[in-house]
Amino acid sequence: MRWALLLGLAASLTATAQGKTADPVTGDAATKAPAAAPPDGGMAAAAASSTAGAGASAAPVAAPAPAAKKVDPKLFDQALNDFFSNRPKDAAPKLFEYTENLPSTDENYAWAQFFLAKSLIDLKLRHAAAVYLARIARERTNPAVLPKALEELQRLTDLPHDEVMIDEQVFGALDLGFLPEEVAGYAHYQQGLVDLRVGNERWATTHFSKLPETSPEASRAKYAMLVTRLKAAKKDLPKEMIEQFFELGKDPKLTLEARNDALMAVARLRYEAQDFTAALEAYSLVQLPSLAPGRASLYLEEAWTRYQLGQIHAAMGILTTLDAPSFREEFLPDKYLLKALIYRDLCHYLPAKRAAKELTRRYAESLDAIREREDLTKDARLLRAAAARGSTKRGRKYLESLEFEGEQLGRYAGSFGDRMFGYMTRLYDLSRAEAVRVYDDRLHEAVRVEADKLLRAAEQVRVMEYEVGLKLYERIKKGSKLVTLIEEEPLGPHQIAFKFTDEYWNDELRTYRFSLKSRCIEETAR
Amino acid sequence: MHRAILVLSLLAPLSVFAQAEELENPGTVSAVQERAYRMQHELNLSIGILLLDAFYKGLYAQVGYAFHFNDSFAWQVGRGAYVYSARTGLREQLERDFNVLPTSFDEVQFFVGSDLMWKPLYGKLSVLNRWVVHGEVYVLLGATIFKFTDSFRPGINVGGGGRIFVNKYASFRLDITENLVLPTGGGAKSFANVMTITLGLGINFGGTE
Repeated sequence: MRWALLLGLAASLTATAQGKTADPVTGDAATKAPAAAPPDGGMAAAAASSTAGAGASAAPVAAPAPAAKKVDPKLFDQALNDFFSNRPKDAAPKLFEYTENLPSTDENYAWAQFFLAKSLIDLKLRHAAAVYLARIARERTNPAVLPKALEELQRLTDLPHDEVMIDEQVFGALDLGFLPEEVAGYAHYQQGLVDLRVGNERWATTHFSKLPETSPEASRAKYAMLVTRLKAAKKDLPKEMIEQFFELGKDPKLTLEARNDALMAVARLRYEAQDFTAALEAYSLVQLPSLAPGRASLYLEEAWTRYQLGQIHAAMGILTTLDAPSFREEFLPDKYLLKALIYRDLCHYLPAKRAAKELTRRYAESLDAIREREDLTKDARLLRAAAARGSTKRGRKYLESLEFEGEQLGRYAGSFGDRMFGYMTRLYDLSRAEAVRVYDDRLHEAVRVEADKLLRAAEQVRVMEYEVGLKLYERIKKGSKLVTLIEEEPLGPHQIAFKFTDEYWNDELRTYRFSLKSRCIEETAR
Repeated sequence: MHRAILVLSLLAPLSVFAQAEELENPGTVSAVQERAYRMQHELNLSIGILLLDAFYKGLYAQVGYAFHFNDSFAWQVGRGAYVYSARTGLREQLERDFNVLPTSFDEVQFFVGSDLMWKPLYGKLSVLNRWVVHGEVYVLLGATIFKFTDSFRPGINVGGGGRIFVNKYASFRLDITENLVLPTGGGAKSFANVMTITLGLGINFGGTE
């Protein structure tokens, strides 16, 4: 900590000293006008400063290149000119050459790294850009560049990214004293998350308490804190936790997805507490963007809740939704079980048996793979299910983005030159290898969880088949009557019904209503 | 007799198919939704064209008010239109080459009327698989009084139209009506036909507000 403090002080002193001579951001000491005025004021100053001071400090130092060559100081100006003329493909190799052949003490070194990163972002090579931005954050050679680099990095975190390099090693390890408020807020949030992950709630609270109450990070921090507490809680969840989740579900500072996650958490907690009416209310508050199909888990959980409330026709209607093409690839073994239960409750035993068997038929290969103790990551269904959730999903997306960017890189083989192209290729190869390792690690665990889920559902289906088999051959006693039909809710005066004929409309997915008369006789009725 | 048995035996498997389908997928499913757009007080501003007369084409601007009792029935309480006549080449030729007097051409100058609307069809359309638009189709039956060049004459109109909802306040509607004008007044001795094509903007107050 002390070393960090000393380094921080040294950095701030260097910043002060450099600010007096030629600050590339403010351009205080820039005496010469840039050759071509760039559109951005701050960036223009950077160009101006380079003209003023690059010549004096352009001494080459040991670089990863085999033999560092002397670089023309004007190269930086040319690169900036290319960058501001929307030619990132031309700017990037020049900036690369500049950074590879000049010492990190060069006045424009950090700026060159920064504009190289910006050029790479423009070329859709975001991971390579993140590497350079992270390097600026770690090296801290120019305090004026640092906040800008962090802002860019923060923006990159909205897309699939290297969580270890950016979230943990940059934002999770930043000295927070000198950062602008917005970046500091994000860094506090990330550092709090890191603390939460290692189980240090007190330290996390310290970080989170520094977040402005009105910031989105404060809301996200509350959510993270609640989820951590929820994971830690064994039994008897405190009721106020549900209320806190509910508050977050209405928090406009959170994204719609995060609000929906909070509401889903409320619904699940209420379901666990057997307060099904309140759970249903929470599910109904989940808002979907217009014409978005929504999440399969939302529908399935709502269907279970309605089933528990005795609304079996509505539950079956929701199960119809889950047959929509949007959800055909979803891993939902519970769906068949619930369908079988509903048919059984309406005493339609053959359809119940068929629905139950559908699960074992549909997942036969996966069940065989589990029984034979094969490598479950080779099973397409389990693999898809495991890769569609949580950290495994993030890992997959990051890996896909690396592969995509790696392919993109090939387009610049000519314009980047051998050295830069070789460096970038190695960078992407190494990052991809690490991403594959992380993804495989997460995948193995996630696949096991999905396999457990499938096995549990398969077991329940066997019990169900047995029960239905008994019912099928049950003798009906003399004088037995059909139970009074469950009255299906009639159409309201302002309602309209569109008969479903195997054509799914996204705006209808939450509104399907199933109609089937019960065939139960009094003694077998539910 | 044998033929009847043969037909019955051929039909029997069909009923088995029906039963099998019922056994496999019992029950029916409907999407039950709150009606997205409902109208109550509708002010409509329209433009239209009278196409049928060979001697002139009438362009008109119309203002109307309709009250929607429910989702199926409405009364277009009143509508009034002022017509601008554009002479056709035929009329000019008759006047120029055959010295036909301008007063012998009977033109609609303005008209007012009222209609009942029956709206049996309400639905939605998928637009390029990206958007959903709602609309309705209706039938019109009403009465109109036309002011011709030298007389007022009543007419009975039937027609239909369609409406596309933009939002809960605004909708576009297209009406096409055929007016059977009675031979009363101005020395008219026969029925006349006036077809109107109207494109309008409906502004809704109430209903889904």
